[in-house]
Amino acid sequence: MTTNFTLNGEAVASESDDETPLLWVLRDELGKTGTKYGCGIAQCGACTVWFDGAPIRSCVTPVSAAEGAAIETIEGLSPDRSHPVQRAWADLDVPQCGYCQSGQIMTAAALLADTPDPSDADIDAAMRGVLCRCGTYPRIRAAIKRAAELARAG
Amino acid sequence: MTMPISRRGFLAGSTAVLIVPIVVSCAPKGAAEAQTLNAYLRIEPDGAVTIISPTSEMGQGTHTGYAAIIADELGVAINRIALTVPTQPAPEYRLFFGQMRSVGSYGIRGWIEPLRRAAAQARMVLTQAAANRWDVAPETLQVEDGLVIDPASDRRAAFEDLVDDAALLPLPEEPTLRAPETRRHVGAATARVDTPAKTDGSAIYGIDVRLPDMLYGAVRLSPVYGAEVERFDPDSAPGAVAVAEVPGGAVVVAESWWKAKKLADGLDISWRPTPHDTTSSADISRALRVGLEVDDAPAAVSRGDAAAALAGADRIVEADYEVPFLTHVSMEPITCAAQISDARCEVWMSTQGHDVVRIALEEATGFPAERIFINTTYLGGGFGRKTHGEVAVQAVIASRAAGGRPVNVIWAREDDVQQGQYRPVMAARLRASLDADGNISAMHARLSGPMMGREYAHVTIRDGLDFFSHAVFADQKYAPGDYRLDHHEVAVPPSTCPWRAVSSSQNGFFLEAFIDELAQAAGQDPLAFRKARLADHPSHLAVLESVERRSGWGAPLPGPNWGRGVAIVESYASRCAQVAEVEMVDGRPIVRRVWLALDCGEAINPGQVEAQMTGSVIDALGPALRCQVTLRDGRAEQSNFDAYPILRIDETPEIDVEIVNTGAPIGGVGEPGVPPVAPAVANAIFAATGRRMRRLPLSEA
Repeated sequence: MTTNFTLNGEAVASESDDETPLLWVLRDELGKTGTKYGCGIAQCGACTVWFDGAPIRSCVTPVSAAEGAAIETIEGLSPDRSHPVQRAWADLDVPQCGYCQSGQIMTAAALLADTPDPSDADIDAAMRGVLCRCGTYPRIRAAIKRAAELARAG
Repeated sequence: MTMPISRRGFLAGSTAVLIVPIVVSCAPKGAAEAQTLNAYLRIEPDGAVTIISPTSEMGQGTHTGYAAIIADELGVAINRIALTVPTQPAPEYRLFFGQMRSVGSYGIRGWIEPLRRAAAQARMVLTQAAANRWDVAPETLQVEDGLVIDPASDRRAAFEDLVDDAALLPLPEEPTLRAPETRRHVGAATARVDTPAKTDGSAIYGIDVRLPDMLYGAVRLSPVYGAEVERFDPDSAPGAVAVAEVPGGAVVVAESWWKAKKLADGLDISWRPTPHDTTSSADISRALRVGLEVDDAPAAVSRGDAAAALAGADRIVEADYEVPFLTHVSMEPITCAAQISDARCEVWMSTQGHDVVRIALEEATGFPAERIFINTTYLGGGFGRKTHGEVAVQAVIASRAAGGRPVNVIWAREDDVQQGQYRPVMAARLRASLDADGNISAMHARLSGPMMGREYAHVTIRDGLDFFSHAVFADQKYAPGDYRLDHHEVAVPPSTCPWRAVSSSQNGFFLEAFIDELAQAAGQDPLAFRKARLADHPSHLAVLESVERRSGWGAPLPGPNWGRGVAIVESYASRCAQVAEVEMVDGRPIVRRVWLALDCGEAINPGQVEAQMTGSVIDALGPALRCQVTLRDGRAEQSNFDAYPILRIDETPEIDVEIVNTGAPIGGVGEPGVPPVAPAVANAIFAATGRRMRRLPLSEA
């Protein structure tokens, strides 16, 4: 049946079966390939998107659950890579292969929205769900602090 | 408002393209007769520069390195440079074994000279074109930011205004390289060229390829390694666009991947029995240990008479080691999009094995190489696993079954973990004798396990030596006298595959854990013992001294349950030393800090070298501490990240990197950071507990 929700601020309708994970609706039906598949069991965080502002694992979220929700993906974070997290990621050259980085960035941006000045423990708690096989974690930690500074500077 | 248009505005730009072949002096024979030109640097009529890249970009930063090298040598802004991998393997880009692959940490060290030469040739003909126009000597001109400049007259000509003329000039055979001090990007922490696309979701990986009328494919492959399909019912996937048999299983094609996956899971399929249907990891371990006990095994290295020297020695140290299978778990799973017609076969994939894919597709389609096209996307990690071509064959079969529509076949994570292509299991028995001064007077290294080079058609195992199995031991420097390396071969059910640092990853652990035991037997500090044995090797000493100094080696530790361990491994023509500081908490090792020193010669991009080093430590800590693939009933017991737990951010130690340059030739960077991790941690656990750790993963013991 049809599921209606907003995607990056625009109304969309999905015709996928109710139990289809939101991840595959975003990627295969709605053409937003910035959100990645990594595990399918909510272990790696590559599929993280915002659901009414909160980071969720789209690989285990049935599309029917998104009825009426506001979904945000990496493509909607900013029109021009100007979000403080994106700027900090560029300043510190965080990505290597880059595949996990949409999930990292969406998780980090959600953290900063709730916690504008996160401690190391806050960062660990928020980010431990997003795996990176390239090992970019030290730069992720530094970039989140940098993004917090950029956000404060406006 | 109307912009005034100058006369010059009408004349600016060229119509021709300047193409400079990238020539490799050591290219295999036959390169000169290449039918198509696939290896070149190209300057477009508008002055934009394209490098046809010898390697894929899988996160290692090589494309940024190439852009930096070209920008400096050509004299152009780095953002005017684009990189693309050739759609057919270029003969010039084949490595010494005759294949084009992005492997072996060759990206920079293998290509810096030919790339610089091509850029210098391009710069010289552009300069000559300007010199001809202005009637001045080319030596008096400068090149900067895409402009040829005559300082005497302050005249300037942009590349785009010179390409037409330059394209008609002969390329100088012996181009003059610019002085190193003129380089702005090389040697600096140049920003990655791919960062923008990797921070807004626009970077395209193999899994993201979208083609007109495209379908998606999911696979259902044998749960037991190597089992062949017995029978399957193509009608058991109702709603599928197509179902087709592939080697070892079937592919199901549908309008979305999720639908294809659900149908593949429900497919009625069975497999033939195999000889290893009941094989477990304990069975394999037993077979490896038998190989340690047999009297004789084929030698890979034999110098002097190690057996006699050891038989006559007073003080012998002996220890057995073992490592498990490892899988790659690139964050992007295995994937390929393909479209086949009677005329051509085209694939889009995140591959690091261009010739491997070409050969697999030639065999699968019967097409000659000229009709096979490989479009390379970004790789979401590779680590050796994406050299293989089985998914390309599956995707081509899927496209054919779907009437020639393009199909993107995506493996589930479970397929990736369970379908073999592992870093091999291996056991080692190391024996050495010590003289009164602590010198290693003789050594015998026995390996027991698969001989991985046998699985590769291009690898020659000459005189028993297989670099896919014998790195580190082949040229160890600790025992300069009587020495024997031999290898009892044990076949294993899963296929094996180069994993980051290949055999250096396990052999570095074996040797460096053993060296610690020798130091203990000699009554010497493990770091001092290594320095004494490696006294004739300045680069080894330099990296050891760097970690010794920075780690405060020998200073008191924070507590009684803490320990420091050291290891040094030379791999891919670079030396890497590490000190790990470990705290034992409830009997489990927690790695708190790692100091790392690397000598890779000149660091082209120190920022990316550091990124590779910290990343290597984090990457290798998962398998050092807890990751492994184990077998039960001929199949993998693990299937996803829940049971193959790579490191998370909250477990990441502080990592302190120093790049040391002793003037050695440029070495590799992508892999040398991996091998010292496990032995440094194992040796630190010994320092904390007095327990020798001789098996990986370390947390299991």
